[in-house]
Amino acid sequence: MVVLVVALALFFDFTNGFHDTANAMATPIATGAIKPKTAVALAAVLNLVGAFLSTEVAKTISGGLIREGSGGVAITPELIFAGLLGAVLWNMVTWLLGLPSSSSHALFGGLVGAAIVGIGFESINPTVLLSKILLPAVLAPLIAGCVAYLCTRLAYAITRRTDPDSGDKLVQKRGGFRYGQVFSSSLVALAHGTNDAQKTMGIVTLVLISAGLQTGGTGPELWVITACALAIALGTYVGGWRIIRTLGSGLTDVKPAQGFAAETSTAAAILASSHLGFALSTTHVASGSVVGSGLGRRGSTVRWRAIGKIALAWLFTLPAAAVVGGLAAFIARFGPVGVTIDAIVGLTAIVWIFVLSQRERVDHSNAISEVAAVGGAVRIPSKKERRRLEARARKTAAREAKVVRLQKKAADREAAELQARNAPEQPSAPSPAPAGTRTGATAVDGAAGRPNKQGDR
Amino acid sequence: MIDWIAFLTVAAATLIAAVVIVGLYALGVRLYAVSVDDSVPSTRVARAAAYACFAVCAVGVLYGVYLIVPAFHS
Repeated sequence: MVVLVVALALFFDFTNGFHDTANAMATPIATGAIKPKTAVALAAVLNLVGAFLSTEVAKTISGGLIREGSGGVAITPELIFAGLLGAVLWNMVTWLLGLPSSSSHALFGGLVGAAIVGIGFESINPTVLLSKILLPAVLAPLIAGCVAYLCTRLAYAITRRTDPDSGDKLVQKRGGFRYGQVFSSSLVALAHGTNDAQKTMGIVTLVLISAGLQTGGTGPELWVITACALAIALGTYVGGWRIIRTLGSGLTDVKPAQGFAAETSTAAAILASSHLGFALSTTHVASGSVVGSGLGRRGSTVRWRAIGKIALAWLFTLPAAAVVGGLAAFIARFGPVGVTIDAIVGLTAIVWIFVLSQRERVDHSNAISEVAAVGGAVRIPSKKERRRLEARARKTAAREAKVVRLQKKAADREAAELQARNAPEQPSAPSPAPAGTRTGATAVDGAAGRPNKQGDR
Repeated sequence: MIDWIAFLTVAAATLIAAVVIVGLYALGVRLYAVSVDDSVPSTRVARAAAYACFAVCAVGVLYGVYLIVPAFHS
């Protein structure tokens, strides 16, 4: 039983990893600041390091949500197993749909559902549920969104360069934000590693203690830390490309300055929340930041339908995971047989979701569409620039036409002269024909040269 | 119920930190862009100021790392 729970916990850690790669790396991938594969590798390493860095494990994994410990209820490995199953399945479903949903919410949901079925409603602390989970879920994207909005406006206002004389826009040169994105997103990934790997460590330790394999009150053992760190890093490296696509290009088109503003806001919000004692979910913060930065840049489109879908997913995360967790807990009541049924059904569902996901593969090559990637590489001239280019092209075209006309005239004159000179000696002179073709060729050259030059510019 | 003081603290800290870092970095980007312009005479000063901005941002990032790693401050 313990082995089963530990395995499932590690698998949850894995899904947590690939679910949350997007939080840190979706925007740098979308703006082309980091190559997709490099980005997930970087995130994986930082998650691995982060998991080892922080030994200050959240000792009470449920944070008082479930009244555990002395005087409360005894939470059994079976219940934890059921809760984890709910969390893992919901994570898989949201991954299949490419929706960034909070892994912690899924975990809490699963555990809550399992506890309600296994022990009863009195095991749940509704005040804690509201103040620690539901309200932060609303407030986190709000804070992050507002901050990212302001930061994006600020970044664009500061870097807006206009010619003091004519008021024309100069070359904006905002590419420098790409380098900043590398650092800001790395910070998010590191913070994520220290937070999220700990949850699984806490669960595994809880199971070990409840099974009597570890004395209560001690921290996680080294093998638990290592296993959790590796699981989350592996998950991160595999990368939830579907979610990266949603966050990176599904909500809004992210430009480097926006990406930098969004990531800095995310990092600031996560760090502030974990050090000033108001827990916010990384996923909620990151999604809110992306939307905020989308609203902050003039001319960028924000896809409200996609945002609505994500909000709906957030709404359902807790109850859905709770229902699955509760169902699993109900089956698990029938002893080892029930747990076996749970395990088989869960495994089948996971495999089924994976098979479904193979129908339409999304990986590093197509997570952010090529069109978007090219859009980052090629500078599309603004309206004013386009008008200027057009005017210049018209001028060159006129000049070229004039040259062609002059050439033609010269050639005609030459041909006429040649004919006049040759006429007495050779009546059937072939000279007009070559002259004619030459003129034709020049004309064609001129015509073909124009669009070419325009394209080069 | 909900700890509004803590929430406001977090919101304010997030706002200040993010605005300062983004503002400085944007200033750095702007100054650097000025420093590579040919037309402006004081390119040296602009470049030095840009690097100063980036350095302050780097300090901000390092402070973030410091906050993340509990071994440094507990």
